[in-house]
Amino acid sequence: MAGQETQMFLYFSELLGRPVLSSGGARLGRTADLKVHLGELYPRAGTLVIRRRSDKAPRCLDWGQIESLGGKAVVLRPGAERGLAPLEVGPAEILVREDLLDKQVVDTHGARIERVNDVHLLIVHGELRIAHVDFGIRGILRRLGWLRPIDAFWGWLFGGRIADKLASWKYVQPLASDPKRNLKLNVTLRRIHDLHPSDIADIIEDLDRANRSSVFRALDTETAAETLQEVDPRLQLSLIETAAPEKASDILESMEPDEAKEFLAELPEEKMETLIGTMEKPFRERVEGLLRYEEGTAGSIMTTDFIALDRDRTIADAVEAFRAVLHPLETVAYIYVTGEGQKLAGVVTLRHLLLCGREEKLGALMNPHVVTVETGDAVGAVADVFNKYKFLAVPVLDDQRTVQGIITLQDIVQATAEEL
Amino acid sequence: MIKDVLGRRWKSFLIFLAVMGPGIITSNVDNDAGGIATYSMAGAHFGNGLLWTLLPVMLVLIVVQEMSARMGVVTGKGLSDLIRERFGVRLTVYLLLGILLTNFGNIIAEFAGVASSLEVFHVSKFVSVPLSALLVWLLVVKGTYRSVEKIFLFACLFYVTYIVSGFLAKPDWGVIGTSLVRPSLDFSPGALGMVIGLVGTTIAPWMQFYLQASIVEKNIPVRDYKHARLDVIVGSVIVTVVAGFIVLTCAATLFKAGIRVETAADAALALKPLAGRYCAALFAFGLLNASLFAASILPLSTAFIICEGMGWENGLNKRFSEAPQFYGLYTLLVFAGAGIILLPRIPLFRVMLVSQVVNGLVLPVVLVFMLILINSPKLMGEHRNGKVFNAVAWVTVAVLVVLTAAYALAFVG
Repeated sequence: MAGQETQMFLYFSELLGRPVLSSGGARLGRTADLKVHLGELYPRAGTLVIRRRSDKAPRCLDWGQIESLGGKAVVLRPGAERGLAPLEVGPAEILVREDLLDKQVVDTHGARIERVNDVHLLIVHGELRIAHVDFGIRGILRRLGWLRPIDAFWGWLFGGRIADKLASWKYVQPLASDPKRNLKLNVTLRRIHDLHPSDIADIIEDLDRANRSSVFRALDTETAAETLQEVDPRLQLSLIETAAPEKASDILESMEPDEAKEFLAELPEEKMETLIGTMEKPFRERVEGLLRYEEGTAGSIMTTDFIALDRDRTIADAVEAFRAVLHPLETVAYIYVTGEGQKLAGVVTLRHLLLCGREEKLGALMNPHVVTVETGDAVGAVADVFNKYKFLAVPVLDDQRTVQGIITLQDIVQATAEEL
Repeated sequence: MIKDVLGRRWKSFLIFLAVMGPGIITSNVDNDAGGIATYSMAGAHFGNGLLWTLLPVMLVLIVVQEMSARMGVVTGKGLSDLIRERFGVRLTVYLLLGILLTNFGNIIAEFAGVASSLEVFHVSKFVSVPLSALLVWLLVVKGTYRSVEKIFLFACLFYVTYIVSGFLAKPDWGVIGTSLVRPSLDFSPGALGMVIGLVGTTIAPWMQFYLQASIVEKNIPVRDYKHARLDVIVGSVIVTVVAGFIVLTCAATLFKAGIRVETAADAALALKPLAGRYCAALFAFGLLNASLFAASILPLSTAFIICEGMGWENGLNKRFSEAPQFYGLYTLLVFAGAGIILLPRIPLFRVMLVSQVVNGLVLPVVLVFMLILINSPKLMGEHRNGKVFNAVAWVTVAVLVVLTAAYALAFVG
């Protein structure tokens, strides 16, 4: 084909099973597959796999060795049959028939799983490339050999023809058909990252188990953490279990400590301890602190991200403390002011930070009447407090009246939603 | 120490309760209108003579269903999914067409069962059939997999009616015991035909698909596989016990009186003067339950199988707009199946004939595909069939194929 500057589309199903002839006309076998090297936007199908009925294993040859595709047969260049080699599939390579045709792939444009009915190939500059994937009914009909009669019938009945459903290859993420080859394919699972975590979660729910874990393992820590929180709770456990312990603890560490704790509390004890053991020290201590509290109490749902300062400190100190943290907004809406022995004395709000003088003492500005809950209080009682006072967050105290954490509006909504 | 063991037992029991469902439901649906008719005929025409054949039938059921359950647990994929990926679109489409055809025939038979069982209670089919179709449709379209499964499991409980009616018929338990221990071998063409019928109604292609799909939907992990296997075994045993009671009820009453029946509703009516009103009513109610149950599952399973193989969105947790083909096909099967029953002078026998012949063609293909898939190291790894089990499975499949073909031929002849 080299040398011909024509552009031409063809379907993989039309290529499959065509007889392959040497330049002298000797029959070498039939086309059995195409090997594609992934990586480019429209990857090159550089190798044709052919098979004879008498062959034990398929053999392959370079696409450049093909003289013509005309008529019903693939004709090779002179001497090309001597270049036939055994088939080897490298790490970033897939076989169109073996790994793509009839298999499930992720359509990252439509954010859903589709089944591949056919593959649309483009010959340009003498090279064969994958251009589109056919998800539509036309692909099925073409492969059944019914396309022509049904098109004729459709045209007679409705006019026009059944619509194509082609997706550009750049939106197609192939999945592993063989669980054991997952690790290899992980290199190529990059396109999953184009999706929003909640879409990834939907897709993971629809996948079979082997692909579920390989897709999950391919996600970076951030995305994995977000995806995990979006996924059906019944799957969360099996997903986190498939990740390596190191990765699993990294994923948990990129969550809020209270969310991470929720996950850990669900795991079997042994697994939980391994995961906690591999966490960084400060995070580990906070999670372990949270795990001490009984399920269904304020302590078990609180977050330990909050700002507390002594009453002798100034507004300037508070602004500095506010700058130093990256906590979500609702956890820093209030700054807790402590007195003697770390006991809670009062609260200042973001408004104070903005409106009051930098040198003013927190103790003088604070509102000493703080509505609080205790670590042992039931979640229902905490919900009542939120209902009554409409706060963004409520501090959680231990029996010494020191602040152990806070419960935000989001925490309480989540906790009560789970109970429903 | 003892507390530990008890604790582990209890935990294991709880896991079983969570895993339980697919196997028990699939097996029970097997006792549908057609199955009950066959068992009634076996009892009425041959007494307790063929009772023993139910034991090998149970083994066959266990062997075949265990493989479906195992494939579902290990691969996490449905059977039509696996067939499509392994054997390509061409075979898949023709196979699915065959399954669609034979299942549609069975769906019609189920609605016929609903109609005739309620006619025993003097309810017109023009009331019972549309109402039951609507009920079945709403149940699935408005429900989620979990709620639907609970209702289905509850429906399984009603098969107890057959056991109760068995006791009401006051059979001679001594005779039943001996006929099980010392099987009488009857090689008359009539008896052979009946045995073929018993086996033929037992294994249908849709069961393997449905079982595997519901195991996948439940996301049962490999470590809980032994519970899924127990679920299959319990289901097969329950089915056999229920079938046995139907046979012995009819043997104790109809066979003694020399009454011949052709349908399950015939049997219920004939039971009235012989075994009393309650026995007959329970028998008819059991038929109603079985028919309704199968009428909900068959269309559902058919829609599942086809959408999965074709790559269309499916599942009860999807909305109508997300899975139009799935819900469209389901709706069509339910209402077309029910509608045909309301037509005057339906050729029910011809419908069943086509359905059985197609069944006989499709079943061998499905079973052989299953054996190929379950022996694939790529797919099943260490969970593929062992040598001994494989030999048992191939022999089972061979016997099944021969008997099903004979059953289909008997229908034609």
